[in-house]
Parts: sequence; structure tokens; C-alpha cells
Amino acid sequence: MSTNTLALAGTRTNERLGAVLVAAFLGLGLVFMAGFAPAMALHNAAHDFRHTQNFPCH
Amino acid sequence: MIIRLVSAALVAGFLAAVVATGLQLALTSPLIIAAERYETQASLSAPTFVSLVVRVHGGHDHGAKDPAVSGGETASEWQPGPGLPRMVFTALATLVGGVGYALLLGAVLLAVGREPTPETGLRFAVAGFLAVALAPALGLPPELPGMEAAPLADRQFWWVMTATATAMGLYLIAIRRAPISIAGGLVLLVAPHLAGAPETSHAASALPAGYAAQFAARSLGIAFVFWAVIGLAYGWAWSLFGRRTVVHA
Repeated sequence: MSTNTLALAGTRTNERLGAVLVAAFLGLGLVFMAGFAPAMALHNAAHDFRHTQNFPCH
Repeated sequence: MIIRLVSAALVAGFLAAVVATGLQLALTSPLIIAAERYETQASLSAPTFVSLVVRVHGGHDHGAKDPAVSGGETASEWQPGPGLPRMVFTALATLVGGVGYALLLGAVLLAVGREPTPETGLRFAVAGFLAVALAPALGLPPELPGMEAAPLADRQFWWVMTATATAMGLYLIAIRRAPISIAGGLVLLVAPHLAGAPETSHAASALPAGYAAQFAARSLGIAFVFWAVIGLAYGWAWSLFGRRTVVHA
């Protein structure tokens, strides 16, 4: 956050790529955990959310 | 930048989860619980929409149809208690999913080099809704408990494939915009549906068709609101954290 955050144009490409990869990895991990994780405890905890958001369930 | 992105995603995911959890508890959870009652006692006549005090798959052999995938669900498996714990875990799962989607939205906005504003966020969120909610729902309509037909792995594979292909197709059409990429994008949009989704349930069920139809419509409606809030809030939070950084810098 030390760089200028006013506009995307002012940021370095490397930093942007890193942020994209980290965010995509974290995001996919969280979505997997909420929507796909096969562990029964996770499935049961997220059950109603999975049905409502149309993740294949059971 | 990653801190700004994650902060904005946390805010957007939280706000979307608050809204979506309220809608879920009011609109879809009662239908899920009613369906579970039919699943448990097929002969139950005219259930009333009682309060949310039923356990997830309470005491019935839900995994029997597909023990290889579901791991043979038994009463010993942990599950949230009925009532408040179940609602809390639904809210928690919605929060995790919301933050996850918001992070993905942020990653996409950054990758294509769009400055996140509420307008841009909303536009990309609509694409997200199309990719992970509407397109998969065309082949695999939102299901109530007890309506499942094809093996879970097949449905999950088709879901992921359709969501990915739709997202890429929308990117080619809306961002690339060259005639050749538009053609390729259209192919990607249509291909999963031509390939065909795993079969949906055709078995007769004691579950009233009205419940299933109502659930499908409400589920898509909630998914749209969920995404819309994620997109609007992400754009808002992005500028909020940007301003703060500049002020403190």
C-alpha cells in the first residue's frame, strides 16, 4: 500500500499481477470451501447456502 | 494493492452476506426444511411452513442413493443444531461464499485493468451472476433436498465447466470485442449446454411441484441480489479504502 493507490495506472505490473493471483487463489479457496468441499461437516454447515446458491449438493 | 483488494472484498462480502442471509432465511430456508420433511416422511400431508427448527438432513438416510460420493451420511456426522445454530452456519457459509466471490470479482477487475467503481462493479457482478448462477441453472436447476438425480461428481464437474466457459465467453464478448473473439465467446457460452448437463430428476416425488418452482425462482433471485450487492459494495469499498490510504499517506 506504499505505492500511489489513486489510480490503477500508477501501479507496477508485478504488484498488480501478484494481487490478482493472491486474490484469485483466496477467492477460489473460499468459494470451494463454501460450495464444494466434500467434508461432511462442512457440507452440513453450508447446506442451506449451497442449495440456495445452486451449488450441486449431496 | 492486495490489502486494498482484500479489504474491499471483505466489506463487499460481508454486506452481501447480510442481505443474502436475510433473504435466504425468509425465502428459501423454509422451502428447504419443508422439502426435508417430505424427504423424511414421503406420506406427510400438507406441511406447514414452520419455523427453522429442523436439523440438516435430520436423522434420515440421505446418502443412501450415492454412498460413494456422500460418504454414507450417518447420524454421527457433525451437523449444526436445529434453529439458531443452523441459521448461524448458513450465515457463516454465505459470508465465506460472499467474500470468495468478492475476491474473484476484485481479481477480475484488476486483471482486466478496470478501476473498480460501483457501476463497473455492478456490471462485472452481473457477469458473475450469469456465469455461476444463471448458466449452470439452465442445465442444473436449483434443487431442493431430495430432488437430486445424477452423481454429485458429474454435476459438480458440469457446474464448474459451465461457469468457467460462460465467464470466458463473456470476457471474450464484452472485453475483447473483436469479431473473432465474439464468435469464440458465443461458442463458449453455448458449448456446455450442447454437451448437455447431467440428467435432472424425473422421478415422481411427494414434494409439490410448486415448492420446487418457487425455490428455483427464489434461488436465482437471491443469487442476483447477492451478486449485485457484491459488485456495488466492492466498487464503493475500493474507493473508500483508496481515499483512506491517501489521507494517511
